[in-house]
Amino acid sequence: MTRIWASAAYRVAFTYSAAFALAILLLGLAVYYAADADFRNQQDVGIAEESAGLFREYGEGGMPDLTSAVTERETMNPADGYHYAVFDAAGHRVAGSLPIPRPNVGARDIQLTDAKEGPEAVRALVSALPKGARLVVSIDSEAVERIDETILSLFGAAFVSVIALGIVGALLLGGYLRQRLARISGTAQAIMPGDLAGRIPVSARGDEFDQLAIALNAMLDRIEQLLENLRQVSSDVAHDLRTPLARLRNQIESALDGPGDPQSQRPALKRALAQSDDLLALFSAILRISEVESGALKRHFARVDVSELAGDLADSYMPAVLDGSRTLTASIMPGLVVQGDRELIAQAAINLLDNAQRHTPEGTAIAIEVTTIGKDIALAVTDTGPGVAAADRPLITRRFARLEASRTTPGHGLGLNLVAAIAAAHGGTLAIEDNHPGLRVTLLLPKLPA
Amino acid sequence: MRVLIAEDDAETAGFVEHALGELGHVVWRAANGEDALHLGLAESFDVIVLDRLLPLVDGLEVLKRWRAAGLGTPVLLLTALGGIADRVAGLEAGADDYLVKPFAFAELAARLTALMRRPPINDATTRLEVGTISLDLLKREVRRDGREIYLQPREFALLEQLMRHVGKVVTRTMFLESIWGFHFDPQTNIVESHLSRLRSKLNEGFASDPIETLRGVGYRMRAHD
Repeated sequence: MTRIWASAAYRVAFTYSAAFALAILLLGLAVYYAADADFRNQQDVGIAEESAGLFREYGEGGMPDLTSAVTERETMNPADGYHYAVFDAAGHRVAGSLPIPRPNVGARDIQLTDAKEGPEAVRALVSALPKGARLVVSIDSEAVERIDETILSLFGAAFVSVIALGIVGALLLGGYLRQRLARISGTAQAIMPGDLAGRIPVSARGDEFDQLAIALNAMLDRIEQLLENLRQVSSDVAHDLRTPLARLRNQIESALDGPGDPQSQRPALKRALAQSDDLLALFSAILRISEVESGALKRHFARVDVSELAGDLADSYMPAVLDGSRTLTASIMPGLVVQGDRELIAQAAINLLDNAQRHTPEGTAIAIEVTTIGKDIALAVTDTGPGVAAADRPLITRRFARLEASRTTPGHGLGLNLVAAIAAAHGGTLAIEDNHPGLRVTLLLPKLPA
Repeated sequence: MRVLIAEDDAETAGFVEHALGELGHVVWRAANGEDALHLGLAESFDVIVLDRLLPLVDGLEVLKRWRAAGLGTPVLLLTALGGIADRVAGLEAGADDYLVKPFAFAELAARLTALMRRPPINDATTRLEVGTISLDLLKREVRRDGREIYLQPREFALLEQLMRHVGKVVTRTMFLESIWGFHFDPQTNIVESHLSRLRSKLNEGFASDPIETLRGVGYRMRAHD
């Protein structure tokens, strides 16, 4: 029993059936008392009318008429339950069959002791007649008591069956709830040891449990994705940090092995310092990506005028691009605003501008464009360089993605991955297309009304 | 100049103390948050270097309590956390500058110098003058020896920064933060390309270059050209 009571499902079901049974009990009591009072009131009215009839007889013919009327009524209608008694001033019963002594005036319940039928309750109205005489009209309470008993037993039966039905219903409902919940907890139990592939079965009914299951499954999908991401990062880091760390180590080792004079050690130390900086930059990039992917930055989001930002960037990059013997043009639709982080969007655009210079030959024409595509703002950086083969385009946004073609250029293959993460954090996407010739990378961000 | 370094890593603190000592500064050290809190209020410093993660009392908490107690000394917050949210929290707690570990000493020194000797020029100043160069902030006008020089907005901003910190080093990242609002390092050296344009416009027809380049550190405006 304690095990069942420990179950919320059973507890709720039992509580409900107990409340229902209590309601039936209260209803039964109310009906019982109302019906009882009503019947007793009717009896009082009946004996009052009988008395009034007999008073009329008395008024017409005095005591003789009354006694004969009483005798007549008792013999004519023995089954209607009325009994009478007429007493003279001395207390002697002069008519009627009620076996009682002379009572006082008023309405009262009288207990009769009948040798044959045992004690019997009657309702009586005692009226005063002239010269100290008394008229008593009574009616059996037996009928009322029978009705009372019937009502009580009916409701008693209803109460018992409600309790019985309630227990059965509670057991069934509780069992059903437990079974539905057991599927959810079963899945959770299966996941805890580490197998994230399990999902809660969803039925076609679409009820609350299914909605809960759908929400939990979505949560599991997200967790699995985050874990996968984490696993990917750790293995990438382990793999991609080894190479530069090994290079750094070799550098230091060869400096130590070489001649001990400062002249020959300085270049090696300088290279080692540069490699440390490179490693630190790699770390910052990885941390920045995971910060963006965690979604924690959304709290700092504000309105960002992408048009203004892109214009600023174009102005800032123009001299450096020209110094690198490439050209930069800007074509920007004014007043386009998104909800986001200005610095992150700037960093995304900057990564695209940096890429457009690093992976293209001199003479390349680079352009930055801001327009709208449907409900999105499109910030595109295009170049007329060698482009990326269609098959490789989905690969280049991956973490540590380095195409064979770019093995020789410096970089960690994190730039576009960060841009994709920034796009996703703003509810947008990154599109990589052919620029005929060259590459067109477009950052699509949901537009805010200006 | 008196500098307080609140840093629990003895190696970092020692490195900074030694290097600042070489530059002629008096350095005090605190290795935990309680000492830092106490020293910062008990002694008077020109600038404070505060590590964000300190034992006993967290660096941010120390900073908040200093500011609550009315301590106005410039504070440079040092941190291993380079996230955007961390930087915002640091500046909200009352830091004047923010430097992510690991850092080049030259960067720290340049930032501390900028913090220590707050330029006598207040923000209401509308005119800066260094040697024969004058810069009018209202008219956005630059003159050298009376001759007007036409600058792009970013070149103007670079020159303004240099003139406000005349005689002191301004690093690449300081420029990126103050002019572009970037707290990251773009691959493309946009500071260098703007600065070389500023330089050629400023020096056209003159023999001397008022802007010094300190390789790997930054730029400095000479007090007299």
